Amino acid sequence: MPTERRRQAVAVVVAALLVAMAVGPAVVASRPAYEIPVREADDGARFADPGADAWLNTSSVEVPLASAPSGAPNASDVTAERANVRVVRTESELYVRLEWADPTANRSAAGPRQFPDKAAIELPVNASARPPISMGSTGTPVNVWVWSATGGTEELLAGGPGTTTRFANATVAANATHEDGHWAVVFHRDLHASNENRTDVALENDLNVAFAAWDGANMERGGHKAVSEWYYLPFAPDDGGPPYEAILWGIAGLAVVLVVATTIEGVRRARDDDGGN
Amino acid sequence: MSAEEASETPDGVDIADGIDHQVAMVMDLNKCVGCQTCTIACKNLWTDSGGREYMYWNNVETKPGEGYPRGWEELGGGWQSDDHTDRQVGEIPGGEDYGEPWEFDYESTLFTGESEHVEPEQDPQWGPNWEEDQGAGEYPNSYHFYLPRICNHCTHPSCVEACPRSAVYKRAEDGIVLVDQDRCRGYRYCVEGCPYKKIYYNAQRKKSEKCLFCYPRVEGEGPDGETHAPACAEQCPTQLRLVGFLDDPKGPIYKLVEEYGVALRLHPEFRTQPNVYYIPPFAPPQHSEDGETIDVERIPRNYLEDLFGEQVHDALDTIERHRTRVENGGESELMEILQDQNPARQYRLDVFEGGEGRAD
Ligand code: SF4
Ligand code: SF4
Repeated sequence: MPTERRRQAVAVVVAALLVAMAVGPAVVASRPAYEIPVREADDGARFADPGADAWLNTSSVEVPLASAPSGAPNASDVTAERANVRVVRTESELYVRLEWADPTANRSAAGPRQFPDKAAIELPVNASARPPISMGSTGTPVNVWVWSATGGTEELLAGGPGTTTRFANATVAANATHEDGHWAVVFHRDLHASNENRTDVALENDLNVAFAAWDGANMERGGHKAVSEWYYLPFAPDDGGPPYEAILWGIAGLAVVLVVATTIEGVRRARDDDGGN
Repeated sequence: MSAEEASETPDGVDIADGIDHQVAMVMDLNKCVGCQTCTIACKNLWTDSGGREYMYWNNVETKPGEGYPRGWEELGGGWQSDDHTDRQVGEIPGGEDYGEPWEFDYESTLFTGESEHVEPEQDPQWGPNWEEDQGAGEYPNSYHFYLPRICNHCTHPSCVEACPRSAVYKRAEDGIVLVDQDRCRGYRYCVEGCPYKKIYYNAQRKKSEKCLFCYPRVEGEGPDGETHAPACAEQCPTQLRLVGFLDDPKGPIYKLVEEYGVALRLHPEFRTQPNVYYIPPFAPPQHSEDGETIDVERIPRNYLEDLFGEQVHDALDTIERHRTRVENGGESELMEILQDQNPARQYRLDVFEGGEGRAD
């Protein structure tokens, strides 16, 4: 084989390898842990109903839930073990659908021993922050969207456990259904918020989110709840997954380049040796 | 509280940390006729509507008996030990244990004449005061007495400790225990935590609420600008309540509680250290079957000990001794205090005013 053609062939292989390395993760890698994919859609209204068909072909993530650390009596005994989460965004709105198993719908708090089922979404006020998951901290406050089976939706601000304060008017709406022993709740809110204490979903950074569910039948309320770890919505424009992933791929890419370069050099030397004989 | 003020707290008086003075009440159970005037005075002032219909911040129950809410003494709460570190698990009473408010059909009795009596529209199975006057024991030795109850504004309130949001608090100037309505989110850990079940959930407002020791009256916030004792005390026809400060050594409460040891805490074993105290009840001795008076106490001592602890023996003995002394023509400050009818001495709420602590 003429030297020139062999060189070209090696170059093509190297280029192909590099391309594969760069594109590969997006195409073939499984979704990074803790990422919840966000479906982009034009028409938000068709997602407001948790039972809407539009949700069926929206990919979902199983989020494990476990009892929150709390001094409340019985706090380690919670009902919900996982939630199924789906997220859609339009130009102007965010829709988050939670579904979890709860055999009984507890819709009333009319008696002293009655507690309603509830669910909540926690977000950092500063969309690029990652606050302590237990209701944030003074420096990194959180917003909490709370749906209650009594029918109300609340928007809370918190800067640490036991500090939740209600916004006078909730800008979050929620719709819920209880079918076949499962609650499904869709929260939706405008992406942009004008109040500085509200999370502005600016689509510039990945947005941390966490979830909670309370089983009224188990007298769960307050800190006695099932909670997730932090997950994130991949909103950063250059979505290569979280930073550590880019670094790993960078190192892998460098290694490949090195290996290829060494191989080329080896081939070249071998050929020179052949020529010398 | 400054060190100087702290040193002014009289000997033996245990006041909660950070509290300037502690309001207190003594109720003489020997004078209660179970008329419920106190209950109604409180209800009219504070709990007649808005989700509070079932609440009796002041209730009067017949003892022995289940009380209000039903079986409250068995529902837990309070503290496990005297160092007040670990709380005792408690339960929230059910709506049926308080007794739901009944609706009455006045129309068919008073206007259309279809019915002869005004009756509840439901068929109630329980309610506050359901077992009034039932008591215990067999004729001719049956017995009962009335036990008026309000929040005890405890020195170690387990309701305060139970709240994860610090919404329940003991206010610094006088130790009154209150619920911050802005902070409360209706979790009812306080209801669970109070062993006296004297904090209530308002399902309409989704907040917990309780006796506030009529603090606007105590502060003189009424139209006349004068200090008044809580309504339950002032309205009582037999004037069996003394109201003042536990740390007022010249007041009758200090004397009854600390000097004579005759005013006792209800269920001291709950360890919240109530600031409502009771003069334990006496009853006529038992009768034999043929109607002769015999030398056996009608209200069993062990029952009174269940309610008021071991101190009840000394308390009853002390009162007995002083009574005998007066019967024999002697004098007794204790008997004078117990029979005092001077409102200025009964209600001593102005003692610290103009001094430290009280907000004017
Ligand atoms: S009686 Fe109950 S509600 Fe009142 S202060 Fe004591 S613990 Fe709290
Ligand atoms: S008003 Fe006085 S006598 Fe009547 S029930 Fe109340 S405490 Fe007893």
